[in-house]
Amino acid sequence: MANLDGVFRREWGPAVAALARWSGDITVAEDAVQEAFAEALNTWPRDGVPHNPGGWIVTVARNRALDRLRRESSRPGKELAAVVDDIRARTDHADVHPVRDDELRMMFTCAHPALDPTSQLALTLRLISGLTVAEIARALLQSEAAVGQRITRAKNKIRHANIPLRVPPAELLPERAPHVLACIYSVFTEGYWSTAGPSAIRDELCDEGVRLAGELCSLMPDERDAHALAALVLLHDSRRQTRVDADGALVPLDEQDRNRWDRSRIARGLDQLALAADATGPYLPQAVIAALHATAPRWEQTDWRAICVAYNRLMEITDSPVARANRALAIGFRDGFTAGLAALDEVADDPRLARSNTVASIRADLLRRTGRRDEALRWYRIALGRNGSGPAREFLRRRVAECAGHR
Amino acid sequence: MHYFALLLGPERTLDPDAHSAEMAEYQAFHEKAASAIRAGDALTPSATGVRITGGPDAPTITDGPFAEGAEVAGGYYVFEAENLDEALALARDIPAAKYGAVEVWPTVFYTPPSRPVGTSWLALLLEPPANTNAPGSPEWDAGIAAHQKFGAAAGDRTNGGAALHPPATATTVRVRDGEVLLTDGPYIEGAEVANGFYFIDVSDRDEAVKVASMIPATTVEVRQLMGVSGL
Repeated sequence: MANLDGVFRREWGPAVAALARWSGDITVAEDAVQEAFAEALNTWPRDGVPHNPGGWIVTVARNRALDRLRRESSRPGKELAAVVDDIRARTDHADVHPVRDDELRMMFTCAHPALDPTSQLALTLRLISGLTVAEIARALLQSEAAVGQRITRAKNKIRHANIPLRVPPAELLPERAPHVLACIYSVFTEGYWSTAGPSAIRDELCDEGVRLAGELCSLMPDERDAHALAALVLLHDSRRQTRVDADGALVPLDEQDRNRWDRSRIARGLDQLALAADATGPYLPQAVIAALHATAPRWEQTDWRAICVAYNRLMEITDSPVARANRALAIGFRDGFTAGLAALDEVADDPRLARSNTVASIRADLLRRTGRRDEALRWYRIALGRNGSGPAREFLRRRVAECAGHR
Repeated sequence: MHYFALLLGPERTLDPDAHSAEMAEYQAFHEKAASAIRAGDALTPSATGVRITGGPDAPTITDGPFAEGAEVAGGYYVFEAENLDEALALARDIPAAKYGAVEVWPTVFYTPPSRPVGTSWLALLLEPPANTNAPGSPEWDAGIAAHQKFGAAAGDRTNGGAALHPPATATTVRVRDGEVLLTDGPYIEGAEVANGFYFIDVSDRDEAVKVASMIPATTVEVRQLMGVSGL
């Protein structure tokens, strides 16, 4: 049954979220849904997939959870005893079925700022996206043991420190929503800009980032920054197939085949962008930049003046040195590469970039475009000596060869 | 549930004006948070405190101050709050969050003092993170037994206290330029972390040290309460 995987992936997050609301405990929810899925694997191939697979999963999971809680509560001293009484009081007459709010609750709990950002990401991928610990470990380039421990630790903190399973009240929303957005964005960026790792899991993370951003928009339609985030990931993702070549090297924007950009993602991205007006977070200016690239018919027709305006807006919101370095490149295309190099000097000494190849790659690119190939070669080599993703390093090697060949 | 808030930061010497301004800030906080604060006070300077290491069998006593320039405990609160969001909302309003940090710990249980704590002593139990145990584990149960033994020996010289969950459940709150910064875990990584506390109700410091020396913990920091909070 090839389509079971798709059913599981679709039903996992809503089922865990519904069970978490019902039981008040994330671990109980996750274990119960896992058991229900195992039972589905046994019975569905024989009996067929039920008409309402989600309802089936939730019902079975609830029964499994009740069985388990009854068993555990009959043993003295078990901390779950209190949970059981609480659940019994609530559930004898209540029917559990997934509701949309459950997922939103789960997103806010997983991205709670009292959990560190990597834990937020791992928890989101596990509880909402339904990735296995092994898949998450591969995606984050960590050992399975480390990821498993991180997730357990985060769930323990949610339980023992009593992180509430809820959408925060209105007065807390402005400070809490950005954490959910950042967490979803990191799902996407782990896939899109991940430093290494096999490409299947990267594709999955990109898809999941796009899906979660869309989901958040439909759950919080008035949250402009959610629309800006959705626009940003869709517009970036429209280029996913063209940004790495057959040799695994990054393809710069000016060399990408624009005919292969995903038009439907671009259209959806632009739709989301239209809903994002007045968003105040860092996603809107980045989405605008991505949209200006996505809608330029040819590289030569890129509207660098408008891109620089968007970068200036971004600089008012964040002091990200990476954004500032990329802005220098845009200035180079608008005002000439010497002006770009001068703008780059303003960020070159930022200690946060000390180990990154960002400044060196951009400097090399600007120098190459001015025809200063020897200097460019030197900076491409410096960039290669710094941290960077596999595809980026492959691209830099290519540039080194080109520059060396022209001497 | 009950949360323990531990105020950490550099020990500062304030001129009289700054001192009374800060006291006013604390008074304002106490009024605002009155319904949630169950206990709380400032601690006397660490120079007047004592640290006991080695456990009840072989206690070694060191007079404060303990380490030059280190972040030291300057005060505490016990909050009763519905959930972590509420506890963090209280913690961010504590003036110490602006110049130091506030660690917010969920308690496993909290025994309120049965007599006013006044200017008695706070015995803060400190452990290397690897030595902390999860409630329900055999190690935890063994610890509880040791503490019951201590409780029996100390009698009414203890006056309430709390056991804390392991450090992975703690959250550190700082406020800088009006912005609230939360971090997962205790303030200083790798250092010994809070694991519980007792109020010790005795008439002098020597007696407090004697009682605290019997506490089963890797390190016990004994600090006299200022009795300034009026809580």
